[in-house]
Amino acid sequence: MNVRLFGVLITAGILAAGFVFWRSTTTPDDAAPAITVSDVPSRGGQIVTSGRAGPRTFNRLIGQEQFSQVLSMLTQGRLVRVNYQTFEVEPWLAEKWDVSADGLTYTFHLRPGVTWSDGVPFTSEDVLFSVQAIFDAKSESFIADTLKVEGKPIAASARDAATVVITFPEPSGPGLRLLDSLWIVPKHKLEGALKAGTFARAWGTDTPPSDIVGMGPFVLREYVPNQRLIFDRNPRYWRKAADGTSLPYLDRIVYEIIPDQDAELLRLQSGDLDLTQSELRPDDYVPARRAEDKGTLKVAEVGLSPQADSFWFNLKPEAWKGDPRFAFVRRPEFRQAISYAVDREKFAENVFLGAAVPIWGPITPGNTLWFWPDVPRYFHDVNKAKALLKGLGLEDRNGDGVVEDAQGHEARFTVITQRGIGWFERGLAELRTQLAQVGIALEAAPLENATMNQRMVKSDYEAMYTRFGSTDVDPASQLDMWLSNGDAHFWHFGDTSPEPWEARIDALMKEQMATLDQGRRKAIFNDVQRIFAENLPVIYFATPRMYYAYNARVQGVKPSVLRPVALWNADMLSVRQSGTR
Amino acid sequence: MGRFFVRRLAFALLLVVAVSSSALLLTRLAPGDMTSELGLRARPEEVARTRARFDLDRSPAAQLGGWALRAARFDFGESFLYSRPVGGLIRRAAGNTAVLALAALAIATLAGIPLGIITGSRRGALAGAIRTASLVCLSIPPLLTSLLLLFIASRTGWLPTGGMTSVDAVDAGWLAWMLDVARHLPLPALALALPLAATFERLQAQAMTETIHQPFVVAALARGVRGRQLLIDHAWRASLRSMCAIYGLAIGALLSGSFVVEYVTAWPGLGRLMYEALRARDVYLVAGCAAMGGVFLAFGSVVSDLLLFAADPRVREGQTA
Repeated sequence: MNVRLFGVLITAGILAAGFVFWRSTTTPDDAAPAITVSDVPSRGGQIVTSGRAGPRTFNRLIGQEQFSQVLSMLTQGRLVRVNYQTFEVEPWLAEKWDVSADGLTYTFHLRPGVTWSDGVPFTSEDVLFSVQAIFDAKSESFIADTLKVEGKPIAASARDAATVVITFPEPSGPGLRLLDSLWIVPKHKLEGALKAGTFARAWGTDTPPSDIVGMGPFVLREYVPNQRLIFDRNPRYWRKAADGTSLPYLDRIVYEIIPDQDAELLRLQSGDLDLTQSELRPDDYVPARRAEDKGTLKVAEVGLSPQADSFWFNLKPEAWKGDPRFAFVRRPEFRQAISYAVDREKFAENVFLGAAVPIWGPITPGNTLWFWPDVPRYFHDVNKAKALLKGLGLEDRNGDGVVEDAQGHEARFTVITQRGIGWFERGLAELRTQLAQVGIALEAAPLENATMNQRMVKSDYEAMYTRFGSTDVDPASQLDMWLSNGDAHFWHFGDTSPEPWEARIDALMKEQMATLDQGRRKAIFNDVQRIFAENLPVIYFATPRMYYAYNARVQGVKPSVLRPVALWNADMLSVRQSGTR
Repeated sequence: MGRFFVRRLAFALLLVVAVSSSALLLTRLAPGDMTSELGLRARPEEVARTRARFDLDRSPAAQLGGWALRAARFDFGESFLYSRPVGGLIRRAAGNTAVLALAALAIATLAGIPLGIITGSRRGALAGAIRTASLVCLSIPPLLTSLLLLFIASRTGWLPTGGMTSVDAVDAGWLAWMLDVARHLPLPALALALPLAATFERLQAQAMTETIHQPFVVAALARGVRGRQLLIDHAWRASLRSMCAIYGLAIGALLSGSFVVEYVTAWPGLGRLMYEALRARDVYLVAGCAAMGGVFLAFGSVVSDLLLFAADPRVREGQTA
């Protein structure tokens, strides 16, 4: 064979393939048939959504991984729910309720005619059973702590099959919001397991899907580990649209398990996916906008995130084992100096590519109910930072660019963060650069998640930079973080001798938890935010703007700053029937 | 012959035990454990219960001993991540990986070996182009290859963008399901096969170059043997020895699963399962995946021996003697 001829043929083949590829990537819009679409939602169709991981259990009272929230929103029901857009409590399986004068007793009137997906009627017995299962010692339900006030459990009783009375042991500021996590499980399916003491293992992932019944808009049809879950429309779902159409609109939701977020974005752009469970990362914004220009995706600005990256020093004295650096780490002035030293505008620009706003406390403007705009602020001022450090005896005595105390102990710290998360690594690099200007040296130690968590729980670190999620915006959902003896008081685990300002926060948080007047609660919590910002046990720099991308054919998407971003509203989602994907 | 294979099987068993035991111990001794997956708000009693359920409250040696006794009865324990028996999870994932590995092996063999014969026996532009392409394929990390192929698939729509099956195949019959798997196979198989094909090409080329200068090839040429007959029947067959050794190992490595390719392309195989188990410190799932990987590596080693046995008369004679 003539080698040259062969080479020419190969080259021609490559060029032809390249041309076809180029055509296919540049002309799909021209080739697509003209379509007319309606914005009126209609019944039928399916959407494909995705997430990083699948379930560990189908039992919502046991499962606390992120997927459990998706699963329950698709397949289960509660008496009331927190609307993920307004953050207000709204009726769900209970159509109305009465409150006693002392605010301790709620009488719920259950919605008539509601049945489980297998046709069995829903009654007050199911609510009582769910409360019993949550507080059963053997069931190991993590929800039990949520449904306690001052450490005492709520009590439930039934007046009749359609009326439930729930009594709070003490006045509860969040009140009904607590019941957002009271998922109702079917007594007729799980009573045997509770009696046998095996409730914690009931509805494991090897349970046949037909045994998993619920009152959500969808029912589980199939689960293939590591691949996907398929949810079919629940024909017995109780909710109707304003025009009387039985919800949900969709016939099916497919949840693909895609571990890699880059691959997930490519599938979203190609139209293989309709929705994801998370907002866009800063780096994904531009490609998503391009896809929006082509008409394949829609990109919605969801709002400012209610969560923010946290930077803190370990304030547990024992963890420093006599390290002399703790003498200045424990001083609020040292942390205030850090706060002054960081140019938050620049931080937002470099870490979140401009899609973020500066913040000075854990409650961000994204939390519209509880954000306090007058929280003490530390505007960028390197001189003030240096003066504060000097006041602590920290100066660069040997000219190496790092400040040290009179005994030569340098302000040099190792900061742990989670490996593989772009904005954490960028954020830490930015902090390192900015704090170097005032002589504080940071050394980054990115660790994978399990190791990082273990180091945190064991207080085996000097400083840390990460972010914590939340399922509600009410401070009650973060009580274990605010209280000095709380399980999630992460900057000082096992704090048995709180500083005076911490003791004051403890008292204020308990007071606002027991206050029924929401205006008064807000005023008390503002005070908590003030004390927190003055003492800065944790320092916050910026909160990102959240953007959410989804397939343009999906209608009814109301993205939320809380997760799941879109599936919280799954019964109202629909697809354009006359369109093409 | 019989003793030879008994020895090989004993070695394989030793390999499986060593690999799975080491995996269990290393996972256990690494910082962090599965209870960190329970989150910051996990109550101490819940953490303690989880640790007891997965024998983390026992010493590593006691845990290993208990697991080994159960594993001897083919009970590999329960997975923390999936709340299912490890055995079933591994069987399913290993089957998926086997499908992918065999496809990748077929592509790599059919492309790599003929190309190696060409580059090992010829000079010129074509051989140079093949060599360059091989070096490129060897240089690009599998992560990049996977993402690149995924990108092409997403932009062109020629192939599905990941996964093993599509939703439409759920209600379809077996034939439609198999066709659907076949549609999903090329992308991850190519990502795995490209560097392997390049390796085969390079090794085959080197072996061919060495072989065609051997006296028996020159003698065949002097006897008038020409062209394809000389190349294939004489030179190639003799060059197969070095290929056989690497071929078996490649089979073992492929069957053990590539977590990068499986992770990016969302192929539900052994590599991805192992990766997720390691991330969550799911100790029994890690040990189970490692045991299965060990089985495959041992299988590859046996295949390698068999191929060598078939290809090299000296090995057969040695065994006989």
